[in-house]
Amino acid sequence: MEYEFEGKTTEEALENASRELALQPEELNFDILEPGSAGIFGLVGGKKAKIKVTLEKPEETNNENGIQLAREALEKILELIPVETTVNAEQTDGKIALSIEGDKSGLLIGRRGKTLDALQYIVNKIVNKALDKKTYVVVDSENYRKRREESLTQLALKMGDKAKKIKKPVSTNLMNPHDRRIVHLTLQEDIDLDTKSRGDGLLKKVVIIPKK
Amino acid sequence: MDGLLDMKDLIAYIAKALVDRPEEVAVTEIEGEQTSVIELKVAKEDLGKVIGKQGRTARAMRTILSAASTKIKKRSVLEIIE
Repeated sequence: MEYEFEGKTTEEALENASRELALQPEELNFDILEPGSAGIFGLVGGKKAKIKVTLEKPEETNNENGIQLAREALEKILELIPVETTVNAEQTDGKIALSIEGDKSGLLIGRRGKTLDALQYIVNKIVNKALDKKTYVVVDSENYRKRREESLTQLALKMGDKAKKIKKPVSTNLMNPHDRRIVHLTLQEDIDLDTKSRGDGLLKKVVIIPKK
Repeated sequence: MDGLLDMKDLIAYIAKALVDRPEEVAVTEIEGEQTSVIELKVAKEDLGKVIGKQGRTARAMRTILSAASTKIKKRSVLEIIE
Protein backbone atom coordinates (compact mmCIF):
# COMPACT_ATOMS: atom_id res chain seq x y z
CA MET A 1 0.00 0.00 0.00
CA GLU A 2 1.26 3.48 -0.85
CA TYR A 3 0.71 6.81 0.83
CA GLU A 4 1.81 10.31 -0.14
CA PHE A 5 2.87 12.96 2.33
CA GLU A 6 3.85 16.62 2.00
CA GLY A 7 5.93 19.01 4.02
CA LYS A 8 8.08 22.11 3.61
CA THR A 9 11.09 19.84 3.38
CA THR A 10 11.48 16.10 2.81
CA GLU A 11 12.33 15.78 6.52
CA GLU A 12 9.07 17.39 7.46
CA ALA A 13 7.15 15.20 5.02
CA LEU A 14 8.79 12.21 6.61
CA GLU A 15 7.84 13.42 10.08
CA ASN A 16 4.24 13.78 8.95
CA ALA A 17 4.30 10.27 7.52
CA SER A 18 5.78 8.91 10.71
CA ARG A 19 3.07 10.53 12.80
CA GLU A 20 0.18 9.50 10.55
CA LEU A 21 1.26 5.89 10.17
CA ALA A 22 2.44 5.52 13.76
CA LEU A 23 5.82 4.21 12.65
CA GLN A 24 9.35 5.38 13.35
CA PRO A 25 10.89 7.40 10.46
CA GLU A 26 13.63 4.79 10.11
CA GLU A 27 11.02 2.08 9.63
CA LEU A 28 9.56 3.81 6.60
CA ASN A 29 10.35 2.84 3.08
CA PHE A 30 9.93 6.00 1.00
CA ASP A 31 10.68 7.65 -2.32
CA ILE A 32 11.06 11.38 -2.82
CA LEU A 33 8.57 12.57 -5.43
CA GLU A 34 9.30 16.31 -5.11
CA PRO A 35 12.38 17.45 -3.22
CA GLY A 36 10.75 20.79 -2.47
CA SER A 37 12.49 24.14 -2.56
CA ALA A 38 12.52 26.93 -0.09
CA GLY A 39 11.93 29.69 -2.63
CA ILE A 40 13.28 33.15 -2.05
CA PHE A 41 13.95 33.73 1.66
CA GLY A 42 11.59 30.87 2.33
CA LEU A 43 8.67 33.12 1.54
CA VAL A 44 7.69 33.10 -2.10
CA GLY A 45 7.88 30.53 -4.80
CA GLY A 46 8.51 27.71 -2.37
CA LYS A 47 7.49 24.24 -3.46
CA LYS A 48 6.35 21.63 -1.05
CA ALA A 49 8.32 18.43 -0.72
CA LYS A 50 6.36 15.28 -1.48
CA ILE A 51 7.25 11.75 -0.57
CA LYS A 52 5.69 8.41 -1.33
CA VAL A 53 5.71 5.87 1.48
CA THR A 54 5.30 2.21 0.66
CA LEU A 55 4.11 -0.14 3.39
CA GLU A 56 4.82 -3.82 2.87
CA LYS A 57 1.82 -5.47 4.52
CA PRO A 58 -0.22 -2.75 6.14
CA GLU A 59 -3.22 -4.92 6.95
CA GLU A 60 -1.40 -7.83 8.49
CA THR A 61 -3.13 -8.59 11.74
CA ASN A 62 -2.04 -10.47 14.78
CA ASN A 63 -4.05 -13.46 13.68
CA GLU A 64 -2.33 -13.71 10.34
CA ASN A 65 0.93 -13.57 12.24
CA GLY A 66 -0.41 -16.23 14.55
CA ILE A 67 -1.34 -18.58 11.71
CA GLN A 68 2.07 -18.14 10.14
CA LEU A 69 3.87 -18.66 13.45
CA ALA A 70 1.83 -21.69 14.43
CA ARG A 71 2.30 -23.32 11.07
CA GLU A 72 6.04 -22.68 10.98
CA ALA A 73 6.54 -24.04 14.49
CA LEU A 74 4.63 -27.24 13.72
CA GLU A 75 6.33 -27.71 10.35
CA LYS A 76 9.73 -27.31 11.94
CA ILE A 77 9.01 -29.87 14.68
CA LEU A 78 7.65 -32.38 12.14
CA GLU A 79 10.67 -31.87 9.93
CA LEU A 80 12.96 -32.63 12.87
CA ILE A 81 11.10 -35.77 14.00
CA PRO A 82 11.52 -36.44 10.95
CA VAL A 83 8.30 -37.04 9.05
CA GLU A 84 7.32 -35.98 5.58
CA THR A 85 4.02 -34.25 5.95
CA THR A 86 2.27 -31.10 4.90
CA VAL A 87 0.50 -28.73 7.24
CA ASN A 88 -2.67 -26.89 6.29
CA ALA A 89 -3.61 -23.88 8.36
CA GLU A 90 -6.86 -22.00 8.68
CA GLN A 91 -8.61 -19.61 11.01
CA THR A 92 -11.92 -20.82 12.38
CA ASP A 93 -14.02 -18.95 14.96
CA GLY A 94 -11.16 -17.49 16.96
CA LYS A 95 -8.98 -20.59 16.73
CA ILE A 96 -6.12 -21.48 14.49
CA ALA A 97 -6.66 -24.95 13.06
CA LEU A 98 -3.59 -26.80 11.84
CA SER A 99 -4.07 -30.09 10.10
CA ILE A 100 -1.27 -32.48 9.30
CA GLU A 101 -1.53 -34.52 6.13
CA GLY A 102 0.56 -37.50 5.17
CA ASP A 103 1.00 -39.40 8.45
CA LYS A 104 -0.55 -42.68 7.40
CA SER A 105 1.01 -44.67 10.24
CA GLY A 106 -0.67 -42.67 12.98
CA LEU A 107 2.73 -41.98 14.55
CA LEU A 108 1.81 -38.35 15.11
CA ILE A 109 -1.52 -39.24 16.71
CA GLY A 110 -0.22 -41.71 19.26
CA ARG A 111 -2.23 -43.72 21.73
CA ARG A 112 -5.55 -41.95 22.23
CA GLY A 113 -4.18 -38.84 20.60
CA LYS A 114 -1.36 -38.44 23.11
CA THR A 115 1.25 -37.33 20.58
CA LEU A 116 -1.20 -35.03 18.84
CA ASP A 117 -2.05 -33.43 22.21
CA ALA A 118 1.66 -32.98 22.98
CA LEU A 119 2.27 -31.31 19.62
CA GLN A 120 -0.75 -29.09 20.15
CA TYR A 121 0.38 -28.12 23.65
CA ILE A 122 3.89 -27.21 22.52
CA VAL A 123 2.70 -25.24 19.46
CA ASN A 124 0.26 -23.32 21.69
CA LYS A 125 3.10 -22.49 24.09
CA ILE A 126 5.36 -21.31 21.27
CA VAL A 127 2.68 -19.17 19.61
CA ASN A 128 1.44 -17.62 22.83
CA LYS A 129 4.95 -16.78 23.91
CA ALA A 130 5.47 -14.81 20.69
CA LEU A 131 2.08 -13.07 20.61
CA ASP A 132 0.49 -10.71 23.09
CA LYS A 133 -3.02 -11.77 22.25
CA LYS A 134 -4.16 -15.11 23.64
CA THR A 135 -4.39 -17.49 20.71
CA TYR A 136 -5.76 -21.00 20.67
CA VAL A 137 -4.26 -23.51 18.26
CA VAL A 138 -5.82 -26.88 17.45
CA VAL A 139 -3.60 -29.51 15.84
CA ASP A 140 -5.21 -32.40 13.97
CA SER A 141 -3.91 -35.21 11.83
CA GLU A 142 -5.86 -37.42 9.44
CA ASN A 143 -9.10 -36.02 10.86
CA TYR A 144 -8.42 -37.75 14.20
CA ARG A 145 -10.10 -35.15 16.39
CA LYS A 146 -13.31 -35.28 14.39
CA ARG A 147 -13.34 -39.08 14.45
CA ARG A 148 -12.59 -39.06 18.18
CA GLU A 149 -15.40 -36.62 18.84
CA GLU A 150 -17.87 -38.81 16.98
CA SER A 151 -16.85 -41.95 18.83
CA LEU A 152 -16.98 -40.16 22.19
CA THR A 153 -20.45 -38.86 21.41
CA GLN A 154 -21.55 -42.41 20.63
CA LEU A 155 -19.92 -43.68 23.83
CA ALA A 156 -21.60 -41.00 25.93
CA LEU A 157 -25.03 -41.81 24.51
CA LYS A 158 -24.51 -45.53 25.07
CA MET A 159 -23.40 -45.05 28.67
CA GLY A 160 -26.26 -42.65 29.28
CA ASP A 161 -28.73 -45.33 28.14
CA LYS A 162 -27.06 -47.87 30.38
CA ALA A 163 -27.25 -45.59 33.43
CA LYS A 164 -30.96 -45.05 32.85
CA LYS A 165 -31.57 -48.75 32.32
CA ILE A 166 -29.77 -49.98 35.45
CA LYS A 167 -30.79 -46.86 37.42
CA LYS A 168 -27.26 -46.53 38.78
CA PRO A 169 -24.40 -44.18 38.01
CA VAL A 170 -21.86 -45.35 35.45
CA SER A 171 -18.41 -43.90 34.95
CA THR A 172 -16.11 -43.58 31.97
CA ASN A 173 -12.39 -44.31 31.86
CA LEU A 174 -9.93 -41.55 32.73
CA MET A 175 -10.22 -38.77 30.18
CA ASN A 176 -8.47 -35.51 29.36
CA PRO A 177 -10.41 -32.23 29.70
CA HIS A 178 -11.22 -32.06 26.01
CA ASP A 179 -12.70 -35.55 25.92
CA ARG A 180 -14.65 -35.00 29.14
CA ARG A 181 -16.11 -31.85 27.71
CA ILE A 182 -17.55 -33.80 24.78
CA VAL A 183 -19.20 -36.30 27.16
CA HIS A 184 -20.67 -33.52 29.32
CA LEU A 185 -21.95 -31.60 26.30
CA THR A 186 -23.46 -34.69 24.69
CA LEU A 187 -25.52 -35.52 27.77
CA GLN A 188 -26.26 -31.93 28.78
CA GLU A 189 -29.63 -31.91 27.08
CA ASP A 190 -30.78 -35.18 28.55
CA ILE A 191 -33.02 -34.09 31.43
CA ASP A 192 -32.94 -37.57 32.98
CA LEU A 193 -29.17 -37.52 33.44
CA ASP A 194 -26.57 -35.60 35.41
CA THR A 195 -22.87 -35.67 34.64
CA LYS A 196 -19.97 -34.96 36.98
CA SER A 197 -16.20 -35.17 36.72
CA ARG A 198 -14.48 -37.21 39.39
CA GLY A 199 -10.81 -37.55 40.26
CA ASP A 200 -7.68 -35.49 40.67
CA GLY A 201 -5.23 -34.12 38.17
CA LEU A 202 -5.53 -33.66 34.47
CA LEU A 203 -7.22 -36.99 33.82
CA LYS A 204 -10.59 -37.54 35.42
CA LYS A 205 -13.54 -39.87 35.04
CA VAL A 206 -16.96 -38.67 34.04
CA VAL A 207 -19.74 -40.11 36.19
CA ILE A 208 -23.13 -40.31 34.51
CA ILE A 209 -25.90 -40.25 37.09
CA PRO A 210 -29.57 -41.02 36.40
CA LYS A 211 -31.93 -38.56 38.09
CA LYS A 212 -34.58 -40.07 40.31
CA MET B 1 21.07 -39.05 7.51
CA ASP B 2 22.09 -39.44 11.14
CA GLY B 3 18.86 -39.57 13.08
CA LEU B 4 20.55 -38.85 16.39
CA LEU B 5 21.47 -35.39 15.32
CA ASP B 6 17.80 -34.75 14.69
CA MET B 7 16.87 -35.74 18.24
CA LYS B 8 19.13 -33.10 19.68
CA ASP B 9 17.96 -30.55 17.14
CA LEU B 10 14.35 -31.38 17.86
CA ILE B 11 14.68 -30.77 21.60
CA ALA B 12 16.88 -27.71 21.05
CA TYR B 13 14.35 -26.18 18.67
CA ILE B 14 11.43 -26.66 21.04
CA ALA B 15 13.37 -25.50 24.12
CA LYS B 16 14.67 -22.38 22.38
CA ALA B 17 11.18 -21.44 21.28
CA LEU B 18 9.88 -21.69 24.85
CA VAL B 19 12.51 -19.89 26.90
CA ASP B 20 13.44 -16.23 27.39
CA ARG B 21 17.14 -16.88 26.93
CA PRO B 22 17.52 -19.19 23.93
CA GLU B 23 21.26 -18.52 23.77
CA GLU B 24 21.66 -20.45 27.01
CA VAL B 25 19.95 -23.60 25.77
CA ALA B 26 22.39 -26.49 25.52
CA VAL B 27 21.51 -30.00 24.44
CA THR B 28 23.93 -32.89 24.74
CA GLU B 29 23.50 -36.53 24.06
CA ILE B 30 24.89 -39.48 25.93
CA GLU B 31 24.71 -42.45 23.67
CA GLY B 32 24.04 -45.83 25.20
CA GLU B 33 23.81 -49.22 23.57
CA GLN B 34 20.06 -49.22 23.32
CA THR B 35 19.05 -45.93 24.78
CA SER B 36 20.30 -42.42 24.28
CA VAL B 37 19.96 -39.83 26.98
CA ILE B 38 19.25 -36.35 25.70
CA GLU B 39 20.28 -33.79 28.29
CA LEU B 40 18.68 -30.38 28.19
CA LYS B 41 20.17 -27.45 30.01
CA VAL B 42 18.61 -23.99 30.18
CA ALA B 43 19.16 -20.77 32.11
CA LYS B 44 18.08 -21.12 35.74
CA GLU B 45 15.17 -18.72 35.35
CA ASP B 46 13.94 -20.61 32.30
CA LEU B 47 13.72 -23.96 34.06
CA GLY B 48 10.04 -23.50 34.80
CA LYS B 49 9.33 -22.81 31.14
CA VAL B 50 10.67 -26.15 29.95
CA ILE B 51 9.08 -28.08 32.82
CA GLY B 52 5.70 -26.35 32.90
CA LYS B 53 2.84 -26.63 35.37
CA GLN B 54 2.93 -30.07 36.96
CA GLY B 55 5.60 -31.02 34.45
CA ARG B 56 3.22 -30.72 31.53
CA THR B 57 5.69 -29.09 29.14
CA ALA B 58 8.42 -31.62 29.95
CA ARG B 59 5.89 -34.43 29.45
CA ALA B 60 4.83 -33.04 26.06
CA MET B 61 8.48 -32.83 24.97
CA ARG B 62 9.04 -36.43 26.09
CA THR B 63 5.98 -37.57 24.15
CA ILE B 64 7.19 -35.87 20.98
CA LEU B 65 10.68 -37.29 21.55
CA SER B 66 9.27 -40.77 21.94
CA ALA B 67 7.37 -40.43 18.65
CA ALA B 68 10.63 -39.39 17.04
CA SER B 69 12.41 -42.35 18.66
CA THR B 70 9.82 -44.71 17.23
CA LYS B 71 10.40 -43.22 13.82
CA ILE B 72 14.17 -43.68 13.86
CA LYS B 73 13.94 -46.92 15.85
CA LYS B 74 16.22 -45.82 18.66
CA ARG B 75 15.02 -45.33 22.21
CA SER B 76 15.85 -42.02 23.81
CA VAL B 77 14.94 -40.31 27.03
CA LEU B 78 14.93 -36.65 27.94
CA GLU B 79 16.61 -35.41 31.09
CA ILE B 80 16.29 -31.82 32.18
CA ILE B 81 19.43 -30.81 34.04
CA GLU B 82 19.01 -28.44 36.99
